[in-house]
Amino acid sequence: MKEIETNLQAVFAGIKNAFGIPAILLISAMTGFGSLAQEQGFSIYMSILSTILIWGLPGQVVHVELYGMGAPLIAVVLGVAGVNARFMPMTISMMPVFEGSKHNRKWNYFLAQMISINTWAEMMQRRDDINVDLRVAYFLGFSFTCMIAGIIGVLQGYVLFESMPKSASICLVFLVPIYFGLIMSNTRHLPFLLAFIIGCFLGPLIHNFTQEWSLVLAGLISGTIAYLSRHKISRKN
Amino acid sequence: MDLTETFWAWIFFLCAILATYIWRFAAVMISHRIKASHPIFEWVTCLSYGIIGALVAKSLIVPTGLILIVPLWHRLSAITLAFLGFYMLGRRLWVGIICGETTLILLLWYGRIEIFG
Repeated sequence: MKEIETNLQAVFAGIKNAFGIPAILLISAMTGFGSLAQEQGFSIYMSILSTILIWGLPGQVVHVELYGMGAPLIAVVLGVAGVNARFMPMTISMMPVFEGSKHNRKWNYFLAQMISINTWAEMMQRRDDINVDLRVAYFLGFSFTCMIAGIIGVLQGYVLFESMPKSASICLVFLVPIYFGLIMSNTRHLPFLLAFIIGCFLGPLIHNFTQEWSLVLAGLISGTIAYLSRHKISRKN
Repeated sequence: MDLTETFWAWIFFLCAILATYIWRFAAVMISHRIKASHPIFEWVTCLSYGIIGALVAKSLIVPTGLILIVPLWHRLSAITLAFLGFYMLGRRLWVGIICGETTLILLLWYGRIEIFG
């Protein structure tokens, strides 16, 4: 990645790297959302805008499902806020990646909208491979491609409505834990790895008590344990 | 859909958008007020890794939708093989994915679970 020297090259590198597993993941995930939205009587405009403006699948699903059930406004707000609360730690931890770049920092409020698990994981993986000045361009190329893949997925799900064979759908859905499991566990920084492993155990456990907040709670506990023990782990290293 | 209904649908939608963006907005605001070298960034990154760990495990152990027809031990065997393939054979992503998916398909086929309907 060191050969990238201009913003334009960085944008294209981002687009190129998004083609492949990230785009496949988004198309398949958003296909599911598209058919759900269609089933619940949502218009196609709202379904597409939901992908662009919420840009967090669990929140989109909660919105569509709760609204479809006729839940009160406050329930929808709390439900969506709960499942998408993970964007807070993810966005905070992403900001130092762009620190030192020449862009106006007000643009960070826009860049934050483009963060999803896919784009976050990609930037955490690649940050050291890309020159600081070019990271914003790379991120934009990557995340816009992901978003377009997501929109294609919504259209496909909305229009074709579950026409994919079951075996293909299962393999695509199963790609999510494999992909994120592999790329996130493949970190050289041991406290991150520890947080990931504890999170794996706590996630399903806390799910028994609260479904909407389980991700955030599991992350909070596992991340804090990992953070507090960071010196101990590093010493052994 | 009549007009009032459409109106409320968009109000609900707008609130759902704000309920998500507020987290991103607050995060950027907080990050602008602290130095990039502050240890809080390492802590929050740990939180994010924990969240994704929880997400991965949840989608395997307490899944929703289509994956429910796949028995638990099939799912766990497939992910184990994916990890083994990845870490034993040179940390190549596509190797891990192929190992995991192939295991899944073979187990489903061997267990005669109806996935080809």
